[in-house]
Amino acid sequence: MDLLDRLTSQAEQAEVLEIESEVTTVGYEANRLKSSRVDETRGLAVRVVKEGRLGFSASSDLSAVDKLVTNALESAAYGDPVDLRFPGPHPAPRVETFDETISRLPVSRLVEMGQAMLDIILESEPEAQVNVEVQRGVQRVSLRNSAGTHIGFDRSPLTIQFEVSRVRGDDVLVIFDMMGVTLWSDEYLTQVRDLAGRLRQAKTAATIRSGRMPVLFSPRGALALGLPLMVGLNGKNVYTRNSPMAGKIGQKLFDEKITLVDDATLHGRYSSAPYDDEGMAHRPVTLVQEGVLRSFFWDLKTAAQAGVDSTGNGVRGLFNPPSPSATTLLFEPGDMSLAEMLAGVKEGLLADIPLGLGQGNIISGAFSNTLGLAFKIENGEIVGRVKDVSIAGNIYELLQDVAAVSQETEWIYRDLRLPYMLLPDMNVVAKE
Amino acid sequence: MHQKIRDAIKRSRADYTEIRVEDREATSIRYRGRDLEEAGAVVDAGGIVRCLVRNGGWGVVTFNDRDDLGAKVQQAYECARLAQTEEPIELAAIPIVEDRINVSLERDFRGVSLAEKKALVEGYNDLLLGHDERIVDTATAYQDEFRHLVFASSEGTFVEEELPYVGVRLVARAREGDNVQTAMEGRAGQKGLGFVQGLDDLARATAQRAVDLLAAETVIGGRYPVVLNQRLAGVFAHEAFGHLSESDFVYENPQAQEMMVLGRRFGRDHLTIFDDGSTPGLLGTHRYDDEGTPTGRSDLIQDGILVGRLHSRETAAKMGEKPTGNARATGYRYPPIVRMTNTAIEAGKTPFEELIRDIKLGIYACDAFGGQTMLENFSFSSAYAYMIRDGQIAEMVKDVILAGNLFTTLMNIDAVGDDFFWIESGGRCGKGQGGLPVTFGAPSIRIQDVVIGGR
Repeated sequence: MDLLDRLTSQAEQAEVLEIESEVTTVGYEANRLKSSRVDETRGLAVRVVKEGRLGFSASSDLSAVDKLVTNALESAAYGDPVDLRFPGPHPAPRVETFDETISRLPVSRLVEMGQAMLDIILESEPEAQVNVEVQRGVQRVSLRNSAGTHIGFDRSPLTIQFEVSRVRGDDVLVIFDMMGVTLWSDEYLTQVRDLAGRLRQAKTAATIRSGRMPVLFSPRGALALGLPLMVGLNGKNVYTRNSPMAGKIGQKLFDEKITLVDDATLHGRYSSAPYDDEGMAHRPVTLVQEGVLRSFFWDLKTAAQAGVDSTGNGVRGLFNPPSPSATTLLFEPGDMSLAEMLAGVKEGLLADIPLGLGQGNIISGAFSNTLGLAFKIENGEIVGRVKDVSIAGNIYELLQDVAAVSQETEWIYRDLRLPYMLLPDMNVVAKE
Repeated sequence: MHQKIRDAIKRSRADYTEIRVEDREATSIRYRGRDLEEAGAVVDAGGIVRCLVRNGGWGVVTFNDRDDLGAKVQQAYECARLAQTEEPIELAAIPIVEDRINVSLERDFRGVSLAEKKALVEGYNDLLLGHDERIVDTATAYQDEFRHLVFASSEGTFVEEELPYVGVRLVARAREGDNVQTAMEGRAGQKGLGFVQGLDDLARATAQRAVDLLAAETVIGGRYPVVLNQRLAGVFAHEAFGHLSESDFVYENPQAQEMMVLGRRFGRDHLTIFDDGSTPGLLGTHRYDDEGTPTGRSDLIQDGILVGRLHSRETAAKMGEKPTGNARATGYRYPPIVRMTNTAIEAGKTPFEELIRDIKLGIYACDAFGGQTMLENFSFSSAYAYMIRDGQIAEMVKDVILAGNLFTTLMNIDAVGDDFFWIESGGRCGKGQGGLPVTFGAPSIRIQDVVIGGR
């Protein structure tokens, strides 16, 4: 008997998610091609609602379907009552996430891509130790539920990650970066060139005083500000009233230069898909518009608990039930060029790579990060790398006054598109 | 399955082949505030084949479908041939063993109903929520996991090992207006259910700390003498120093080797740091690592001097040192890499009162919310802290983040407490492959001149 039918015959609602993927990776370690691997995954995750209670289970052992059914029903027997409805069939925007080119990239091509990146970095920094992973995959997701939804789509994720370390005496610099798409793009080369540029800039040392000064956040650096914001916009933290933004929809909380959109419908982005992991159609969700709080992001269950609608932000792995999560997060660009922004800084800090992201009490908006890579800005010029510098503050205060947001944006860590942001006055602690 | 594994290895054309097959059953129960987020079990079955072709490289295949292991070996062999290393990859010799490790747990969680486990977690959650009206949110979680692993290599090693895990995590959030504070506690080990029962006092203390933090002032940033409690000192040893002693960082990097040269002074005479994967019951413990190497104690810093590092078979061969049993993998999706097991700062001789006695203005930093290092630079946030004034523990402060340079900071450890213990509150290390269970151990330590972030 079909698994969905079997579950439906024993519960009011049921859902079956089937995941199948094959991912091929080539890995360079310490500047040379060291390994290659293939990961084959398949598994089933099910949810049931029985007597109004939600149950979940998953299995990667497809011969253990009976156990899966038993586990799911037992889970529901002890689950909390929740007024959740699995969505019925409804249309979704066309979102391209499968690229024949990626799915067929020969391993030799993955090797070439890795080598090309290596060459760019080693040309600017011959002493660097570089690890690169180039990964292409084919993923098939199918979701069926008792409301009649039956969707299936293919994705072709291409992910590139690399770590560059440079050791000189006791001076260690490590830069990690990651990019990913589902439609072919060679933007990784641009990002690697950019990285090589920063490595060159980081050769000159500078010192900076402690105290208040303007801080320019690079797109990577701006993540220190973006992360507390993402945590605060998560429906789960809103429903539990942990988020300082709870109950403030429609209020102007931030500088009007800040607009933030979650959008899983862009063609070819890493987290793009027509539907979310619970079968809700994706659509762009404006979270903050010109400083005004417009929406949070929700999955089905959290939305049901809070009495609102899912925004299509149900995200899950095989072994975890869905939870609300941002997909592709876009910080909208501003109207100043980076060059203009820099030119306006007499003495300040360029914060490029924050360490300790997510540490501390970020739900309150507080952040405090040592900077793994930071530069001193003097009279509009980047004059050199500063070390042992940390920044701290609270986004709910600091983001009320943003001096400028750049026209330029960059994709970082696959799913985030951020501009440069200049905060006019914040505390910098340096080791003098 | 055993015969299938042996047959598949026998047919391999690679210079070295290993197969690891894993069956895992895990139960997870999570509360968030009043809501039960999850209560249920999952079944995970998979495997990994790793082949080495000396003049090629490593080839790896991971899978859920274990019907045709021979085909996976062939595929891994082809992957291994793809790479082209300049020097052949060698593996340091290890004893060939056939062994079978079965655990017997005092209250094996596998025989306990979901209902009883749920009641346990619910009880803790109720204690957290009911402690004070300012506790607005909790995250209370229970997890158990029973892993059954079979490891076999073409050298003849065949190890079957059972690895249990049980853990509870308690998080309380207190709120007053816009002021939201979090406190966290936990307990985890390779033990039976009894290990996580009877934690009512711990739950109350967690909730109380969240409430206390509401009244705490944010620390004033600057440089202070700092006393770290055992838990924070343990995390510091792991994060700030331990990762540098993992040989995959140094073995192909001449500059890093120079920095981490054995015999270099890293600390004062009272500083000894070691890693030991053989201490019973701790989270990083297993008799063999994921390459079949027996685990044991490795001294890393002894009396202030760097004396050793952690190895896999490959890094050991390359550096002409002995494998230490530190090649660990986070499950069948990953090949083993050099990881810590149970890492500790050895007990010193200074009683706690003496650590703080001469501090006029300093900080007593407790527990860790998190930590990150970029090799020589580290940053840790303590979960809660107190000012030290005139040799006495004074008012509580919050948002204490310690940052600094590892080398300077290790040298600045000027006193080591006599109050060592293994921290059984649960720990995971995220290097490369996500959460691998590890344990930290330490006494309280005093460090001069630490940069504290803050306002």
